[in-house]
Amino acid sequence: MRAVDIFIQQILNGLSIASVITLIAIGVTLIFGLTGIINFAHGEFLMIGGIVTWLAVSAGLGFPLAVVLAILAVGLMGYILERGLFRFTLERPTNGFIVSLGLIVVLQHVVVLFWNPNQKSIPRPLTTVWEVGGVRIASVRVMVIAITIAVVALSFRMITASRYGRALRASVEDRDTAALMGIPVRRYITGVFVLGSALAGLGGALLIALFPITPFTGGTMVMKGFAVALIGGLGNIYGAVAAGLILGIVEGFSAGYGFSQWTDAYSFALMILVLIVRPHGLFGGTSGPRMAS
Amino acid sequence: MNLLAVSDVVTGYGPTIVNRGVSLTLGEGEIVTILGPNGAGKSTLLKAIAGLIRPRSGSISFDGTEVTGLAADVMARRGVVLVPEGRKIFVDMTVEENLRLGAYARRDDAAVETDFATMLAFFPILATKRRDKGGSLSGGQQQMLAIARGLMTRPRVLLLDEPSLGLSPLLVKEIKAIILGIGERFGASVLLVEQNAGLALSVASRGYLMQNGRIVVSGAIAELRDMSLMRELYLGGVTGATV
Repeated sequence: MRAVDIFIQQILNGLSIASVITLIAIGVTLIFGLTGIINFAHGEFLMIGGIVTWLAVSAGLGFPLAVVLAILAVGLMGYILERGLFRFTLERPTNGFIVSLGLIVVLQHVVVLFWNPNQKSIPRPLTTVWEVGGVRIASVRVMVIAITIAVVALSFRMITASRYGRALRASVEDRDTAALMGIPVRRYITGVFVLGSALAGLGGALLIALFPITPFTGGTMVMKGFAVALIGGLGNIYGAVAAGLILGIVEGFSAGYGFSQWTDAYSFALMILVLIVRPHGLFGGTSGPRMAS
Repeated sequence: MNLLAVSDVVTGYGPTIVNRGVSLTLGEGEIVTILGPNGAGKSTLLKAIAGLIRPRSGSISFDGTEVTGLAADVMARRGVVLVPEGRKIFVDMTVEENLRLGAYARRDDAAVETDFATMLAFFPILATKRRDKGGSLSGGQQQMLAIARGLMTRPRVLLLDEPSLGLSPLLVKEIKAIILGIGERFGASVLLVEQNAGLALSVASRGYLMQNGRIVVSGAIAELRDMSLMRELYLGGVTGATV
């Protein structure tokens, strides 16, 4: 195999994992932007999306239906957790962060309790491997990247073009002033929790299509998702997507050139480097909501 | 009947009491001003009326209905809208997006388009800067945008907090003309908080003087202007009384 073929293949691999991480990062960055809450349990939301997919596929459902179920289930979970827990922490986002730390333990162990701590996997939903001029391309990876691009494009369209997106951006920029325009900011906060959770559910479904997962998969994934959100600038959804792309290329590149044992370190090295040079991230973030003065 | 009636309202942050039992009224079509030195509690009172903070006690009624403690977005939809101190423009959004946000809660799309065109005609500078980011505007332009954005909600009561803050005398004159036009062109009553007494006295028909969180004097503008107490307390200060 020529070096360039390996390179392309590795970039593709990097991008498919980065897709899942980007889906987490969007949720992390949106929730932080609107509420100031850093939800570290977002990785567990992703893991539960994977578990739901595994349960559905094991029960004989097709993968597409399993994905939809994962999105709905985790979206619903996000709704319940926001209404039941996080909304009481809106005045002090640090409390929301602490709640999320507790949720990590609870969610992991609920899954262990019912479905044991072992690895879970599903048969690959797409098994075709294309050979294009010596490059072997696994169709399942292309599927993951394509779905992510479609979802991200749709989210961008909603955020830039619709009145709801405009109101969401206004609420991220200044919650109080948004309320003065008649925007029901609290409902947007619930909406963002549901949307962010649904994206994590999708991410979990896509992840288990690529790799086996365990009830503890969420930890590393959310750390990377958080790193990507920070690199792009917390609160900046465009930044999160761009940083996810950068991370995918960097990880793929490093794996292709023989430093694969360091793959997990790159996102964090990149994060540290970016934060030293540009403390608000590459594309500029918010510092969380302005509190009522 | 009064469009807006504030009675015995007490506000505060944490252990600090700001307003200590404030009562005032605003009639349909009126322009009323609250004057007073820095820290008197004028802005806090406006925030309480707009629903950004909850009064500790007392009551606020609008159009004959009790509205005490309603959230800001509910108040805005009912027609009581605050143009906050410091403009609070959405800096990352264009002038057009800022204006359209003002119409967020409205469903009368055709009327929104008419109002949008009216704003661009009434504030020509906004038409020129339509596609520019709010953050790129000058202080005066941002103030125009903030007022126009507030008017896009179709308010029945517009609460203006220090619209002249940091503006040149020329721009203050422009703001004055705009405030005087709000009533007839947009059918809104105005409650104006100002430190620039000259501006406030020249547009309002009635006024309240607030000090240490209390209304100390109230009356028609002509009476206020002549009041020696007013002069001692307030006009003797630095703010330019000429507009």
